[in-house]
Amino acid sequence: MKIDARRAMIALLFVFGGGSLWGEALTQLAGEIDAAGLREAVAREKGHVVLVNFWATWCVPCREEFPSLARLQERNRSAGLRVVGVSTDFENQRPAVEKFLAERRPPFPNYHRKKGGDDQAFIDAVDSRWGGELPFSVLYDRSGRKVRAFSGKLPISAAEREIRKLLANP
Amino acid sequence: MRLFRPILVLAALCALSAAAVAATPAVGAAAPDFQLTTIDGKSFSLSSEAKSHKAVVVMFISTQCPYSNAYNDRMRDMASAYASKGVLFVGINSNKNENSATASSHAKAHGHTFPIMKDPGNKVADLYDAQHTPTVYVVDPQGKVRYEGRIDENYEDPAGVTSPDLKNALDSLLAGKPVAKTVTKAFGCSIKRV
Repeated sequence: MKIDARRAMIALLFVFGGGSLWGEALTQLAGEIDAAGLREAVAREKGHVVLVNFWATWCVPCREEFPSLARLQERNRSAGLRVVGVSTDFENQRPAVEKFLAERRPPFPNYHRKKGGDDQAFIDAVDSRWGGELPFSVLYDRSGRKVRAFSGKLPISAAEREIRKLLANP
Repeated sequence: MRLFRPILVLAALCALSAAAVAATPAVGAAAPDFQLTTIDGKSFSLSSEAKSHKAVVVMFISTQCPYSNAYNDRMRDMASAYASKGVLFVGINSNKNENSATASSHAKAHGHTFPIMKDPGNKVADLYDAQHTPTVYVVDPQGKVRYEGRIDENYEDPAGVTSPDLKNALDSLLAGKPVAKTVTKAFGCSIKRV
């Protein structure tokens, strides 16, 4: 628990200290997150286009699309894209999550979904049309408005066209 | 070329929509009928079995998905407990990367004696718009969907379940009462479609 608090503090120092969690190779979890925390995380990035991706280490299509998300982030970082990952792994799989991030070194922050509460409340808070399948991604425009949700693997080319349209709007 | 630009934009939007979120199936509507062959070679017809049981629980399951596997014992125990009450549990494996032999050995390993079927081409998953495993549908003798969603809310700890949603739905149905919570959600693994 103390480790989580320290990591969350590091993440906050990055954000409020003028640094950025995007573009650096991040090898650790940024912290735990619940639905309210996720809303706040998206709201903090107002002015950017945000893509939240829900994944799990045991989810094959999630693992397959992870490098594409990293490249998507890299290609569009300077234009204002902010990818945020949320692992929904079981609590006892947290070491696997940490190992995965240490190996993949994604250029975007990843959170672990906070244990407790009903999954349905979390799922509905993210998107009422989401059934709980993984992977799942949600795209927000620069004002923080949800514009699209993607069930399953992200269709990268089509999604990137959509993202670039949003990025073109200041 | 300018004339084609709106068409290209429309085509791109259509492609995006196709990948976007599917609609939730309606509870209360007729359950799509299907016929499949069980992994031990028997014919199965949902409409026939629904008529001869008080309820049929159609479960979309996987041999590899941790969420589905977390419920292996609960599936076995509930199928056994409700069999004497006239409820039939069936498992459907729609994943293209899991074959009959794998499904069969998985069933044996976990004591799943209820009918299990492979769903070639994920046609039944498409009929139900099932997106992930485990997802269950309760079908009444009239062939209507009465419940859709999860088995319960706690995949990690069977002893800590506080919302046994499938059990509640079945108990209500068997008691002739309305199902209070007809649609529930939980995390799961995307069905690996062709």
